[in-house]
Order: sequence, then structure tokens, then C-alpha cells
Amino acid sequence: MERAWISGKPTPLDAAIAEAAKLIGASTRILIAGLGTDIAGARAAISLAQRTGATIDHMNSESVLRNLDVMRSSGVMMTTATECHVRADTLLLAGPLRGTARDQLLQNVIGSEQAKNRDRRRIIWLCPGRDLLTFADTVGATPIGRKQEDLPGLLATLRADVAGRPAGKSCVSLKRLRQVSAFLKQSRFGTAVWSSAELDPVVIEMLCGLVGDLNATTRFSGLPLAPEDNAIGVLHVCSWMTGLPMRTSFARGVSQHDPWLFDSSRLVTSGEVDCVVWISAYRSEPPPWRRPPPMIALTAPGTAFVTPAHVHITVGCPGIDHFGVHHFAATGTLAAFAATQPSETISVAEAITRIAAATPEPGGRSC
Amino acid sequence: MLTRISGGHVIDPANQRDGRGDVWIRDDRIIDSPNEEADVTFDAAGKIVMAGAIDVHSHIAGWNVDTARLLLPEYQSAAAPRPSERKGWSALETGHLYATMGFTTVVEPAVAPHYALHAHLELADTPIIDKATLAVLGNDDYLLRLLHDNESEAAFEDYVAWILEMSRSLGIKVVNAGGVAAFKDNVRAFSFDDVVPAFGLSSRRIVKALQRAVSSLGVPHPLHVHCNNLGLAGNFETALTTIAAAEELPLHLAHLQFYGYGKEGDRKFSSAAAQLAEAVNRTANVTVDVGQVMFGPTVTISLDVLRQFNARTQARPKKWLILDGDTNGVGIVPYNYRRSDFYNAVQWAVGLELFLLINDPWRVFFTTDHPNGAPFTSYPEIFALLMSRDLRANWMSELPAEAMAVTTLPSITREYSLHEIAVMTRAAPAKLLGLTDRGHLGPGAVADIAVYDDLTDRVRMFRAAALVFKDGDLVVRDGHVTRYRWGRALAVAPARDRAIDRRMKDYYAERYGLSDEFVKVPVYALSRPEPFVFVPCR
Ligand SMILES: [Zn+2]
Repeated sequence: MERAWISGKPTPLDAAIAEAAKLIGASTRILIAGLGTDIAGARAAISLAQRTGATIDHMNSESVLRNLDVMRSSGVMMTTATECHVRADTLLLAGPLRGTARDQLLQNVIGSEQAKNRDRRRIIWLCPGRDLLTFADTVGATPIGRKQEDLPGLLATLRADVAGRPAGKSCVSLKRLRQVSAFLKQSRFGTAVWSSAELDPVVIEMLCGLVGDLNATTRFSGLPLAPEDNAIGVLHVCSWMTGLPMRTSFARGVSQHDPWLFDSSRLVTSGEVDCVVWISAYRSEPPPWRRPPPMIALTAPGTAFVTPAHVHITVGCPGIDHFGVHHFAATGTLAAFAATQPSETISVAEAITRIAAATPEPGGRSC
Repeated sequence: MLTRISGGHVIDPANQRDGRGDVWIRDDRIIDSPNEEADVTFDAAGKIVMAGAIDVHSHIAGWNVDTARLLLPEYQSAAAPRPSERKGWSALETGHLYATMGFTTVVEPAVAPHYALHAHLELADTPIIDKATLAVLGNDDYLLRLLHDNESEAAFEDYVAWILEMSRSLGIKVVNAGGVAAFKDNVRAFSFDDVVPAFGLSSRRIVKALQRAVSSLGVPHPLHVHCNNLGLAGNFETALTTIAAAEELPLHLAHLQFYGYGKEGDRKFSSAAAQLAEAVNRTANVTVDVGQVMFGPTVTISLDVLRQFNARTQARPKKWLILDGDTNGVGIVPYNYRRSDFYNAVQWAVGLELFLLINDPWRVFFTTDHPNGAPFTSYPEIFALLMSRDLRANWMSELPAEAMAVTTLPSITREYSLHEIAVMTRAAPAKLLGLTDRGHLGPGAVADIAVYDDLTDRVRMFRAAALVFKDGDLVVRDGHVTRYRWGRALAVAPARDRAIDRRMKDYYAERYGLSDEFVKVPVYALSRPEPFVFVPCR
């Protein structure tokens, strides 16, 4: 099986590594994006970025930053899926839960047959979206409101009613609203569950505010479902290595974070970068751009590119081809996973370490 | 390689050295003076030579610290010397800044078992210093269930031993024992004899069970206790009750300053440090660290979820995070200690009173509970304050007079000597943690050595060591890191009945529907050669 290509032509791995190093050495405005990798891969990528003055971003930064925006501007109460699973008597789902969020809800929150709280747990789902009403029914959730667009209004009135303020009009009757707020207040340990992939920071902030208010008299907490591709794990590595989240640049010798300025899509479309390193080890996810600058792609097998990468290396999947540490949504912690089908396929960490070793030291720039 | 540090003033309390002399290093160890020429000689004439310092309680890594950074991007200065230098607050900087002050071993004291791998990964990226973690137990369902069901002491000890080995920890800490669990049942205040509703267990029962288990397993570091009622007026009584409950076994009380508050005076808030110091002085089996407060913005990171929840209204800036976690949880609340604030000024004084009124430097440890009382970068200023009553008087003259009036600080004349500083930051912490290979300069010790210029300006002296050696490598020169290397983590692994392994596997499968593998910290996951050093149990 071929594992490395230069300009679409199969090549030995060593040649691809050397070519990638040559490209990085010749570039001055490098973007390391995608970042779908384990902790070791993220560490190697961030080290390379620090050394070359590059910018780092993750393909799910948008979802991560929506929750982070709320956290860094107000108070939030959080819990873990495991704690929610064993303790919550009320689940308050808010907005659509699709894809990985839906899987996590089923696997980690609602849980298996052994779930101790299954019988006494009540589930309310605020504005799931029309297409999810059947799914809501199968998980035993009572929908309050339907359309996703009604969620901000519903949350605002619900929050007002819970706090004892006059509640305005919303998509449900005042009587129904009162029932919901009374029910939430009667919970002993409730958990609000959401996916930031489809919610506005304003909505997340209202939801977190509602959770905070409910703690005036009872216990309630929040559970943001984690985006894919080890986004939360990478977020934490960014924190301990740089003090800042992704969308951080090292171009000026210090770490600089700006969610807009260092958005990878903005950087690529505006032509502000001259080299892209795209990493996606968990899925064969190609970069979303039509005309990226010369690209080094480290991806899972079978990735179909819109624009072919200058250097393309197939990498192994953490926890399958090689051991890996990544964010484990079930517990909300970093956990180590041994290889289930060990293979010779190179890891992201090894690929980047070898590329970095072959890259000439940039003149005058310290690491 | 043979290295000689010649002619310095060697202060090594563990080996009764306090005078001019040489220290010899062969490779990574200290040796007796050999009959050989040194390969390298460092002239230490006029300088102070001590073992590398050891910090017994500093929140430097893990989910909590990472999340605090993410909560406060504007605090990138929080780990930097205030007020001028604005450096990044990262694992790299943590190792760097500790090393430049002559610290070579640091204990991260708040690792809930499920978060151990995360903490160790970050510690592995913290350069130069060696480190260790304390695993936090006492609010976790499994332990509370064991006590509730009156399981045998052996079963309890096996569980504690299992946690220590899985999480690769050096010891056990308990945080507001039972209080964090009770908060999940909507309890909002919790004292030493209050009862966790779901289990019918008092804080006292939990603390005593853990204290006995740690001791019986032979773990060198005694149970590390964060008491109930942190930060509340009148809470010195909680600390006194906890000290009395130590009975005959060793017990370590963390950041005692935060429990040194009485209810005297117009504001019903006063220093009770004198009563606490008196109790510590007469209870030889109790050790404490101080948790000194210094003025300026910081962030409080505490596994005392109940306390942090109640403190969230005082957040400055107004944002905070509370995590209701599986085994414990955490609360992160930014805070600004202000000179002009009556309460903050009392807190500052309480810490210094404890340092100065506890007679035995072998039993009082130097901490700010970083970053809860102040960032660890403020240590040099605290050393200076302990060593000079004039400096303290200068500071007090700028603080609210009514605050100083409810403390005994103005009347205290004691000044720490360099010898006492060396005991408190080197010899005593090594003894407290059971680390016979460090904290002193005797033959066989790890060559962790700090050399300081003997300046009258103690702040400058302790801020930037002249030379620091880690495992015999010169890593700092004139306050600048000259060489990066990776330290290791110190851990214990007491013997246990392996039947517990099966019980824990079943517990995780039944309770969470998960394999217990995620609790483990595999050596291979840390991608460093020999990331752990095991400390023998007694
Ligand atoms: Zn602490």
C-alpha cells in the first residue's frame, strides 16, 4: 500500500519527509491546521509551530471557542458525562444534537441498560428541531418547543420565570413554561446538555445562566458535548504549552491568540499564509479550501483532496494503529488507548518530529 | 564528571553544616571530598550554597490549571514576576521560573484520580524540576461506600493503594472531606462533624480513615488535609478541631492561613493565627504549610467545590467555573487581593504570623498555595519579609491600620535566619515527603544544588540564583536558564492485595459501563525515558 506522495506521485516516506521539510524551511508564514491528532501529535505540531513562528488552528475550533467564549466572559457550572450518567435525575437537552453529539448522548449520557437512574430520570428537550422529534421520542424526551429558531426566545422566558421575573411570550404557553420551570426547580441534580456545534454563544450563555440560577435553590450543572477529532485534548495541550487555546500565532516570538485573525479559513482565503500543514489522523477529512497554498497533508488513508497536497503522508489512527492519548468523551478526561490493530503506519507525532528534524533552523529565530 | 563548588557558605541543616566549605558532585550525585582534581570548579566564595528547594504544595499542572489558563487569557502574567515581566503562563515557564529561584522539586497537590494522566502529561512537559502529585480521595463514591458499608480496614487500604499506583502519586490529599460530596446533595455548609447525607458519614470519620490507611500502608507523606470551612470568619475552630483529631498519627494541614480567622473586632473578622500556632507548637505530629497571601490579581484553583461555589460571587473579574466531577471536581475563581482591603490585609498578616509564631521550622512549610494565595513567583518577597522585621513594618505602614490592629503581627520581632529558611524549604520538606535523596548536601544525595549571591536585598537574591544544578547538570547561571532538561515524577506504590484490581474493574464496569483502563497512567504514554522514580514505603 502506498503511504506517501509528492505532487500526487507515490514516493518513499523518507523522500516525502525531506520534501515537507524543504517546503517548511522555504516558507515564512506557515499554518498548521486540522490538528485532528492525539496528544503526542499535538505536542509535536505545537513545538514545530513555536519553532517556525507558525499559526495553529483546529478544524473544530469554532465549536470549542463558542463554549470557551461563554466561559471566559461569565460563570459556568459543568459536570462530566459519567457524573451525569450516575447522578442526574433530570436532563435538560437544548437545541439540536446531531452526529457525534447524538452518539455521545446515547452512549455516555443516557447510557446502557445498567444505568441506575434510568427509571427515575426525566428528560426535557428544548427546541430539538423538527427533524429530531422522532429521535426525542425514542429516548423518552418531552419536547418543549420544536424549531431550533425558537430556542433563544424560549430560554430567555424560561430563565426569567425560573428567576421569578415576568416572562414574556415564547413558543409555548405560559402555563407550559411554568410547568417546566417548576419541574426544573424540583430536580435534585439536573444536567443541561448541549452541543456547541449548532448553538450560538448567546444561546449557550443563556443556558449556562439558567443553570447558574437554578443553583440558587437546587443542584444543576452543564454538560457540553465534546466536538470530534480530539478538539478538547488539543485545547488542553495548547493551554499547557502556550497558555492559550488554538487560533494562536507564534509569529512574533510570543503566543498571540485571536479567534478571528487566526481562523485558518480566513488565513487561507485571504492569502496570508504561504504553507499549510493539514492534520487529520482520526478521519479521512480533507481541508475545506479550494485554492490553498502549497500543502503538507498528514491524514488517515483514503482522503480525497479538493486540491492535491504538495506532500501527502498517510498516518495511523491513535488507539488503532498505534497507542494514543486523547480526550475521552465518556469521562471528560485524557485517557490512554493501546493499539487495537498495531501497524507500521507512521504516527502524526513521528511524522512531524522527523519533518522538524530535517527542517533547517530558521536564522536568528529562537524556540 | 567531577564538579567542585568551592568556598561557599554551605547551609545544610540535615547534615549540621553551616559554614565555609566545598560541595563535590560526581555525575548526578553529591560525594564526599575526593582526592582528585575537579574537572570543573565553580567559585562560590561569598555565596550561599543550599540544596535545591522543595515546594510541598503548588498547583502547577493538570485539567484545573489548564482550564484556569483558558478562563483567563488576560492573566498570562499570573505566573510571572509582578508587575513588570509579562511572560507566558505555560508548563515551560513554570519549570523555568521555579529553577531560576533554586527550586528543584515541586508537588502538585490536587489531582483527582480520573485526571492523573492529564496531570502527568503536563508535568512531563514541565522542564528541569522533578515533581510529584497527590491523589485526592475522600469525596469519591467508592471510598464513601466502603466506609458506609463498614468494609474492613484492609479493603479500604487496598483501595487507597490501588489509587496511588494507578495515578502514580506520592501521597493522598483530602479536600473538605465529605463536603464536596454533600454539595452534590445541595448541602451549602459543611463542618468536621457534619454528615454526608447520602452516606451518613462525618468529615471526621473520612479523615480518620484516610489518615490511618496512609499511615498503615507506610506511605511516607502523612495524609494531606484541606480542612472544611476554608476562608470563613471563625474557622480557626475547625482547624483546631482537626488538629486535635490527629491524635497520635501524623497529619499535614494544607494552607493553614486560610483557616486562621476569628470573629473579633468591628468587622467580625480577625486573626486567630496565635491560637493556631499555639496548637501546632504543642502537637508534635502535626505539620502545616502556610498558603501566604500576597497582594495582586491571581486565580484560586481548588478542589473544594463547595467553597469555590460559595466564593464565586467574589470573583474578580466576574467569571468562574465550577466542575461537579466524578471523584471530586474543582472550582476556579479569579480573585484580586488588594492592599486597601481590610480582609485581604488581615489574610496577609495571618500567614506571616503563622510563619513567625510556629517555633519549629521543621513543621511549618513555605507555600502560597500557588496560585491561590499568590503566584509562586512572589516567594522571594516572602523570604525577605520573614527575614526582616523592618521590611514588615514598612509594608504594615501602608496597610489599613484597623486590619493590623486585629492581628499580632506588629508585635512580632522574630526574623528568620538563612539556616531556618534552608530547613523550611529544603531539609524539612524532604523529610515530610519521605525523600531521603534530596533536600540535603550529604554524600549520595541527588546533586540538586542552589547557589545564591549573599545580598542584603533578599528579594533579588532569591529571585535569581547565581547557579542551580539539577542532577549535577548546571541549569541556571545568574538567574537565567542555561540548559533545559526533563525532570521526573516521584511516586509510591505500596503493596496491596491484588483482589482489589478485580473489584475496581467490576466497579467501573457496573457503575459507569466503562473499563477501568482510563484511570491508569501507563509509563509509555508519557513519551519520556523513565518518567517515574519510586519512593519506598516504610
Ligand atoms: Zn492548594
